[in-house]
Amino acid sequence: MRRKASLILLAFAVFFAALSPMLRWYAFPRLAKIPANQYQDMVLEAKDATLLDYGTMKARKVSEVTIVQTLKGNVEASERIEKTAGRDVVVWDGLSYVQGPDGKMVSRIPERYIFDAHTQEPVHATGEMVDGDPVHREGIEFKWPFLTEKRDYEYFDAQTRTAAPIHYKGTEDFRGVEVYYFEQTIPWTKVPYPRTMPVDGVTPESLADTGTTRWYTTVRKFWVEPLTGAPVYGEEIHKEELRGGTLLGDRDKVTAFAGHVKMREDYIDYTVDLVKSNRTLVLLMTSYLPWGFLTLGILLLSLSLYLEARSRRPEDPAPAQTTEPEPVNA
Amino acid sequence: MRALIAAATGLAVALALVFTLTALGSPAGETSPKPLLTTVPAHP
Repeated sequence: MRRKASLILLAFAVFFAALSPMLRWYAFPRLAKIPANQYQDMVLEAKDATLLDYGTMKARKVSEVTIVQTLKGNVEASERIEKTAGRDVVVWDGLSYVQGPDGKMVSRIPERYIFDAHTQEPVHATGEMVDGDPVHREGIEFKWPFLTEKRDYEYFDAQTRTAAPIHYKGTEDFRGVEVYYFEQTIPWTKVPYPRTMPVDGVTPESLADTGTTRWYTTVRKFWVEPLTGAPVYGEEIHKEELRGGTLLGDRDKVTAFAGHVKMREDYIDYTVDLVKSNRTLVLLMTSYLPWGFLTLGILLLSLSLYLEARSRRPEDPAPAQTTEPEPVNA
Repeated sequence: MRALIAAATGLAVALALVFTLTALGSPAGETSPKPLLTTVPAHP
């Protein structure tokens, strides 16, 4: 009976001991992925910003500029691309909608971001674009990979349509969550006008005809929770200028936008709570379950060996019988 | 010999479980009907 129990325990010990590394190194990389149907929005604000008045072509101070960023997973497009890509793909249709203090549109930039659901590496397929311009993305955008490392990453900048390094600057505590701080500086770069302009009748083509060009620089800051790779907070010190051409008269340049863009407070709270909950799921797969299964496997193996040893121990000798000597007949 | 069979059984079940789980994956779901926003939402 003990022998049978020790064999069953041995089977379970091997089961749990094998499950431990397989869960961490085989199952986790295949199961952890961005859902194809994810929908999320984000509101960022720039208080006391500078904004160009296209009527007078002069920069003016405004109380607030608001940026509403939406990302919507396009399941049909991702399934179509997966057939040729041969891997799990996510297609995010995004919109960055910028609104002035009067509620009027300042700019709207749509984009399509296609990436590997597990690694967040860009996947190149027809439809990948920023503001209608086909692009060939390198690097990440919006989200870091699961199990983010303490190193620099290539981060795609939608304004310049190019990727540039975003530098790991250290580990910090952000509202009780350990985060990696990343920073990217895009130097002054000539960028295209948005296709949708805030004034009727003004088009990117009509602006280009005046010889006036649009320039942009930014310092982008992200605080990223490393297990999920999700940014819990972001800031951008963003400046845009119009330079040269006949549009500005005798001026060399005029500020089109300048502001320190930060996430709105209620969105920070929401994001931190969401990331904390997702972080627990990742920890379950990468730490809690693998270590728990390994410990359980070792305990079961020990118990199995103990029972096996006891079953092999020789039985105690029977107590010696004291018998009367039989009488001997002469 | 019986110990070897027991260990092999444990390993086989672990492999089968992990391979099945990863092969099943998770359903893709459907594209959200919510629009790309052009107004500022009141709250997340």
